[in-house]
Amino acid sequence: MSQSLLTTRNLSKSFADFTAVNELDLDINQGEIFGFLGPNGAGKTTTIKMLVGLLKPTSGNIAIGGMDMALDPVGCKQRTGYIPDRPFLYEKLTGDEYLHFISSLYPEAAGGKALENAVGYLDLFDLAKWRHHLIEGYSHGMRQKLIMSSVLMLNQELIIVDEPMVGLDPKSARVVKELFRQKAREGTAIFLSTHSMEIAEELCDRIGIIVEGQIRAMGTMDELRAEAGSGNEHLEDIFLQLTGAFELLDVIRALRGSSLSDKKV
Amino acid sequence: MNAALILVAGIGVCLLIYFVSSRVLQYFHSQNELGVILSLKIFQMAWIMIFTMLIFSSMISAVTTFYLAEDNEILLSSPVQPSEMYLMRYLTTAMNTSWMILVFSLPVFGAYGKIFHAGPLFWPLLVIAVPSVTLIATGIATILTVLVVYYFPARRTKDIVFYLSLCFGIFLYLVFRMIRPEELVNPDNYGQFIDYFSAVSAPAGPWLPAGWAANMISSYLLDGQVDLLLTGLLVTTPFVLFFLGQWLMDHLFVVGYSKSQESFGGHREFRPVRHFHSIRAWIWRKELKYFLRDSSEWSQFFMIAALIVVYLYNFKVLPLDRSPVSVFFVSNVISFANIGLSGFLAASLATRFVYPSISAEQGAYYLLAVSPLSWKQYLWYKYQFYFFPFTLLALVLIVISNYLLQISGPMGWVSVFTGMLLTWTSLGLALGFGMYFADFKSGSKVSTLEPGAILYLFCAIFYQVVLLLSGMPFVSRLVRRTLTEKGAAVSDYLSVCAWGSVVTMVSILLVFWLCNKAVNRRQWG
Repeated sequence: MSQSLLTTRNLSKSFADFTAVNELDLDINQGEIFGFLGPNGAGKTTTIKMLVGLLKPTSGNIAIGGMDMALDPVGCKQRTGYIPDRPFLYEKLTGDEYLHFISSLYPEAAGGKALENAVGYLDLFDLAKWRHHLIEGYSHGMRQKLIMSSVLMLNQELIIVDEPMVGLDPKSARVVKELFRQKAREGTAIFLSTHSMEIAEELCDRIGIIVEGQIRAMGTMDELRAEAGSGNEHLEDIFLQLTGAFELLDVIRALRGSSLSDKKV
Repeated sequence: MNAALILVAGIGVCLLIYFVSSRVLQYFHSQNELGVILSLKIFQMAWIMIFTMLIFSSMISAVTTFYLAEDNEILLSSPVQPSEMYLMRYLTTAMNTSWMILVFSLPVFGAYGKIFHAGPLFWPLLVIAVPSVTLIATGIATILTVLVVYYFPARRTKDIVFYLSLCFGIFLYLVFRMIRPEELVNPDNYGQFIDYFSAVSAPAGPWLPAGWAANMISSYLLDGQVDLLLTGLLVTTPFVLFFLGQWLMDHLFVVGYSKSQESFGGHREFRPVRHFHSIRAWIWRKELKYFLRDSSEWSQFFMIAALIVVYLYNFKVLPLDRSPVSVFFVSNVISFANIGLSGFLAASLATRFVYPSISAEQGAYYLLAVSPLSWKQYLWYKYQFYFFPFTLLALVLIVISNYLLQISGPMGWVSVFTGMLLTWTSLGLALGFGMYFADFKSGSKVSTLEPGAILYLFCAIFYQVVLLLSGMPFVSRLVRRTLTEKGAAVSDYLSVCAWGSVVTMVSILLVFWLCNKAVNRRQWG
């Protein structure tokens, strides 16, 4: 059985009176792609920010590869790669310089061969010919692909991804899916937060649904279907059911002229 | 609290300007009639210079407010005519560029009004003249901008105007200093200025709107007469320029805006980078590349160079020979005061370049925050990056000033040591404050008028004043005794060394405490 790489216990984060994440327990295994879903404001981004060390939890623990984030943040960060949803980069550096900069931030990553790995990813994403151009001239998709390359080249044990496909063209999105699968086969744990049910359903081994800061359901697709009490439904239907979006049924009925009255959403 | 602090500081600066202006004008008036004429000539020159600078800065601002504004896409995709946008953009540009001149010119006008015993129409005339001149400058600038952007891409126009205005500013600064205005009221020099005064006896810039305003106010200050022609010109010209600008906006704006959407500089290919593994080397490289690849950053080198030249020139032309006391003593006193001046310069430059360098990471700060690099290491590498240029600057200012003052004896090493300590501590404080008040969410670069930056400057100056005052008794005794036949005793040297050790320790602790506090605040968001 594969080992748990990322563990959280009773992880909570409050902002004044508002509890964004409440007693969250997660176990993400090596070689697993874990989908993290939830409606807007459910606590996904807050959870991710705590996992990557950008936010201090109000209570609870985070352990990465057995190391406690509170006691050894540097050790945890050495093992983690983070792909944010918005591609903020150093605009005045070239793509190549950016990759050098990132590889110097993680000197121990990929056995010192991160930059050699980067060449392959730049080719895959059709970025090679732009590598010596300033990032300020890159499109949104090119920036996203550069961030992906910079994280994948590090061969980290854990990759945390927030909305991976935003701004990517269909070809690049396909490449990303294949790369995530390949990384998982090599033993990397991937924590993937997304609003795209298709991607989660297609890619993830297990899925956790967070609502109002708490895990509402967690498991494989079959386990989620069982929990939702449904048959062969798609993740979107299960998600809507589990997140209590019942009012949506009325909206859809109204929009479709009540033709769905006897159908499940 | 920040707003109150800025308000108090602003009022303090205004009062300072008022008192300094009053003293200078009083001095001119106490000389003779030539002083009165001279003070009005300076008044007129200032109007014309400010008017020219306003045109340049309005052009830079207009490129942004007219062509690069983020809401342009929404407005231009809606059924709104460009001419309908013109008023909003015109007023925004006028406010952006002239509010500071409006605020800080008030105490100067107040001083002129007081010294010239101005009549009751003085302030109403200013209410016409000042807004009129700023609106005319904005009107000319927006018309020029719309015309220039019609032919060149907007971003390039912004760069061109920025360089031109910078060169113009440096030129004015150097020329003004090199004509040695302090000598204008020296009776020994009257002979050589007679020609000058006869040349400038005519009204200043009769064809320039700033000249209209200056001549209108000057004639009222001198004779109590209101020139109705000039008043009429000042009232009507802004409207004429506004309608002309609105017409041009309707006819030329869309073509210019379309050009401003073209990518700029995105196709330039840079050379492959050399391989460096060390993060220290890459942080330095990143800082350097950001500086060299941003024209608004590196071009300020010219301004700093002009500042250094004028700074040192001031020491070269100091009339030490006219001093009633010993030249040796006076030059030593000036050398000690020079430590504070160079420290102030270092703190000002740190406010401009070092303090904002933390927030300049902007959204990309997460790259550092999620990496194994600690914020303490990051600050330390940044400190090392700025250490060399700031040390060089302080050494140039202090060593060359000492050379020009012909300083010999203990003041030479005391000034170098203290100057270095002030510079290095100011640098550390700038990073500490920059980290503590860092705003990574800001879309644009942090301004030097941001509350944290102002607070840093106040604290750095306060620290420098306290340090210099604490050392003054020891240094002064050492210098005075060096002048005597017996010379200074060992105890004099020891007391200065003890003072140096204590202030060094205090400075190091201060920087460490602040940086630690800032890092703890930043850690974990």
